[in-house]
Amino acid sequence: MRKAIWPTIALVVAVSMVLAACGPTPTPVPPTKPPVAATATPVPPTKAPEPTKPAALKVGLVTDVGKVNDGTFNEFAYKGMMRAVDEFKLKSAFIETLAPTDYEKNISQFAEEKYDVIITVGFMIGDATAAMAKKYPTIKFAIVDFAYAPPIPNVMGLVFTEDQSGYLAGALAGLMTKSNVIGIVCGKEIPPVVKFRKGYENGAKSVNPNVKVLGVYIDSFTAPDKGKEAALSQIAEKADVIFGAGGPTGSGGIKAAAEKGVWVIGVDQDEYFTTFRDKKPGYDKLVSSAMKRVDVAVYTAIANAVKGTFKGGTAVFDATNDGVGLAPFHDAEKNIPKAVQDKLAEIAKGMKEGKITTGVKL
Amino acid sequence: MTAEAGKHRGIPWRKWVAAWSQRVSDLAIPFLAVFTALAIGAVVIWASGASVPKAYQGLFEGALGSPRGIAETLVIATPYTLAGLAVALGFRCGLFNIGAEGQFYLGALFAVWVGYSVKGLPIFVHLPLAILVGALGGALWGAIPGFLKARLGTHEVINTIMMNYIAVLMVDWLVNRKGPMWDSTSTVPRTPYILPTATLPQLVPPYRLHAGLLIAIAAVFVVYWLLWKTTLGFEIRAVGANPSAAKYAGMSVTRNFVLAMTFSGVLAGLAGAGEVLGLNRTLPAAFVSGYGFDSIAIALLAKSHPLFVPFAAILWAILRNGAGLMQIRAGISVDLISIVQALVIAFVAADEIIRWLYRIGKKEEIKEVVFTRGWGR
Repeated sequence: MRKAIWPTIALVVAVSMVLAACGPTPTPVPPTKPPVAATATPVPPTKAPEPTKPAALKVGLVTDVGKVNDGTFNEFAYKGMMRAVDEFKLKSAFIETLAPTDYEKNISQFAEEKYDVIITVGFMIGDATAAMAKKYPTIKFAIVDFAYAPPIPNVMGLVFTEDQSGYLAGALAGLMTKSNVIGIVCGKEIPPVVKFRKGYENGAKSVNPNVKVLGVYIDSFTAPDKGKEAALSQIAEKADVIFGAGGPTGSGGIKAAAEKGVWVIGVDQDEYFTTFRDKKPGYDKLVSSAMKRVDVAVYTAIANAVKGTFKGGTAVFDATNDGVGLAPFHDAEKNIPKAVQDKLAEIAKGMKEGKITTGVKL
Repeated sequence: MTAEAGKHRGIPWRKWVAAWSQRVSDLAIPFLAVFTALAIGAVVIWASGASVPKAYQGLFEGALGSPRGIAETLVIATPYTLAGLAVALGFRCGLFNIGAEGQFYLGALFAVWVGYSVKGLPIFVHLPLAILVGALGGALWGAIPGFLKARLGTHEVINTIMMNYIAVLMVDWLVNRKGPMWDSTSTVPRTPYILPTATLPQLVPPYRLHAGLLIAIAAVFVVYWLLWKTTLGFEIRAVGANPSAAKYAGMSVTRNFVLAMTFSGVLAGLAGAGEVLGLNRTLPAAFVSGYGFDSIAIALLAKSHPLFVPFAAILWAILRNGAGLMQIRAGISVDLISIVQALVIAFVAADEIIRWLYRIGKKEEIKEVVFTRGWGR
């Protein structure tokens, strides 16, 4: 019996040599794109697309801990990149980060492969991006959710006024609640999330001074089960509108809450097309989503790089340039009184004109 | 021992050949497991519509194809080796130390604290002190479940899992915004940077490879020496093989449980200390490394033998490090790496599959590989 091992080993060696031989051959396989979630979010063209010179830039995206199909934050950034890639005929790739200790390694992987533009997603990746930007000064970086002071010449910080988006969500919740108790399920206590929460609280109180806001921070963006527990305990304390602000953690919360029959509000993307895609149970309980157009921001950064107008510094996406705002009501619209809709439109307009401020300071 | 080897007692070289061939087939199992896992992984890549050569070429080129790639692979293999040794040592005493992740955290926490708060020491005092205190942190986190097991008989699996939660959440509270260890000059939730005098030097600048590698290599031989060349190590293995027999022979089972868990914690703590002193130079919130949990797989793959642990660690490091370039080249999900890792473990754990697949003969004798015992002692 034991003798049988030698032919086997020979076979193994032979096969691995064949594999090795196949390796370097430039097989003309078309670059396969990962399946992008089939969402119908029509991305409004911010700038007129103009196909430019054939010198195709190479664009790389490094996610925060999470996947490019997570249904919220990372996926939205990925979509923004892919829109630019399709429009300007660029080359692109992405790396999904497994652990925070890998941030620098993943960024330098793109740098070593001579990528021209590197997009990093998320506040937690801020330090690593700054370090790598200094190490590779000729590469253009754009980071979502981080602003550097003083600015770094080759890094564009893409930040959002989450408080405005949260304020609108809070106003909606404050107008919809019957019990005068509303809830918010947050992710990590980092500035973008804190701004969502404070904006939500102020927005709700602005339209309904008697409202009580229950809130909780959960120390992960990838823990839907913890989000669910938090949402259910808020419902047990009579909350009848729940806002989920924390990636898949918040989505887990509003999914469970919507199934329980209370109103829910999504975050970042229009979650009607992600968390409640294909009319998943509770889809008609989603009143809106507090949008944060990560896709527009990423697209803008890449478009600037293509057109040669890329500048380091901070780009703010707010109500005035449609960087934040509420998503459509979708199937919940028939249950939202006309008066509520009008009031919301009024607040959104005032915010756009700069007449309404959220009163949130960090 | 085989039958034919017994017949040819007079001719020693026949015996030697038989033993050698047995050893080769034993050693071949992990290689065949890896090969088979990669082959199945290839099918998965192909089924997902990506290019198999591009993916695997990216994987190996990313991990081994450049000086930077090799350096990064060793950077990752360093904590893997130390944490893998921690789990392997536990297995040798019949203990399942799932707490390597928590001990890793405590090592990092203690080391970074000494690294930034103790000022005015020369490097040859400050650096060893930071490493030592880091090891102590891990030792503390390992000793507690060991003590609970020895004294109260509570299962170490439960307790180490709980200790993990305590470690992770405690670090988060300490380091997060407005926490006692938060660097208030930074918007990012992290501790202040350690002083240059507490930094593990780079081995080959400009690469990130740091002197923690030397600690890991030394630890491999120290653990080997401890387990097989000292009375203490003999006792630890005896307790692992059969606690009742060890007790009957006059060994203290409780003492060995506590000691094994403490040493295990020291190793995992060193891994954490190396990460902050050599690599990050600060401890960020969300320092989720996964090293502690991956190290269980590494110890299993190495069959809990300290001298095999570095090889298993390097394999895991190759897979983790190469994943980046694999994604760039082939655009497939990083989950593929997890699939390959899971298959390797499945094949090594259930080596009957590999023996059957490649027609390798059965082992005649059962080797002394104890993983864990059930509840109680």
